[in-house]
Amino acid sequence: MPRFHFHVLEDGRLIKDEEGQEIAEKAVRSEAVETGASIARDCFMKGSANQVIVDVRKDEEPFLKVSISIAIQGPNDSTTIKRIPPSE
Amino acid sequence: MHLLHFREWPLANEFIADALIRRLRTTSALEEEDIRAIRSLPVVVRHYQAAQPIVRDGDRPAECCLISQGFCVRSKTTSNGKRQILSIHIPGEIPDLQSLHLHVLDHDLITVTECILGFISHVSLRELTRRKPNVAEVLWRDTLIDAAMFREGIVNVGQRAAPSRLAHFMVELRERLKVIGKVQGARFEMPLTQEQIGEAMGITPVHANRIIKQLRDENVLEFHRGSVTVIDEQKLLELADFDDLYLHQRPSL
Repeated sequence: MPRFHFHVLEDGRLIKDEEGQEIAEKAVRSEAVETGASIARDCFMKGSANQVIVDVRKDEEPFLKVSISIAIQGPNDSTTIKRIPPSE
Repeated sequence: MHLLHFREWPLANEFIADALIRRLRTTSALEEEDIRAIRSLPVVVRHYQAAQPIVRDGDRPAECCLISQGFCVRSKTTSNGKRQILSIHIPGEIPDLQSLHLHVLDHDLITVTECILGFISHVSLRELTRRKPNVAEVLWRDTLIDAAMFREGIVNVGQRAAPSRLAHFMVELRERLKVIGKVQGARFEMPLTQEQIGEAMGITPVHANRIIKQLRDENVLEFHRGSVTVIDEQKLLELADFDDLYLHQRPSL
């Protein structure tokens, strides 16, 4: 099986995937989407980034890119979310 | 074949029961007579390599497995092949004690590292628990604590953000290792790989990698191959949102 590296960019900050993983080519897309969505959840809830990109490389060559971003419009139009109890 | 050698020993002569006795003493009031009875159980000792199944989903085991050395995990795999690690197990634990009463196993028990395992037959365990109701109560209490840990695990995976989730998992593992005298200073054994951490936390290996780096960059935990070092205890406890009540490590409470 080919080796893929899933590098992550959070508002441009690179988190390199040094190890990489051997994974079937047809499974790369769902792995990248799941990784992106799950990291984006952490980042968006914490307000630490507004965009998460998963940049998948196959033998160093670009293979697939998943980009997930958040935009909030409203009274508190900052994407920094504070947990507020529903009753307030 | 992962079976390298096996011999039958009474628990009395062997180091194999020591961690079990230490654990049970921490959670329950054990009498000397009960300890003697536990030590008199016949046990078959087997040596397992890393990543070997001990018992599998659907099996009907006739014995329970006491970990003497090494680490195991219990896990379940979905129909599309996704594995969830349910719990990690350390020396002194009997992860499949439930098979004494629930005859068909509903998950897998697998070694993570090389292990020395002691197998105790259901027949002798049943005979002991019928003869010594106090031992039966202590083992019942042990499975109730196991269930309490699973409840905490549901809260952890369902409600905490991934970095807190991992921090909580690490604090729990350390508290359990302390009971069997396996924590030296700020460092403790933690055999899970990045991929296995992902499977335990319900995230992909790449997300696990990100959190491991985050915890290191924020000076909380440092991960090495096979172990973890606590960098900042206060930060770790805050992030983990950890309350040790559910481990029920005080028999007087």
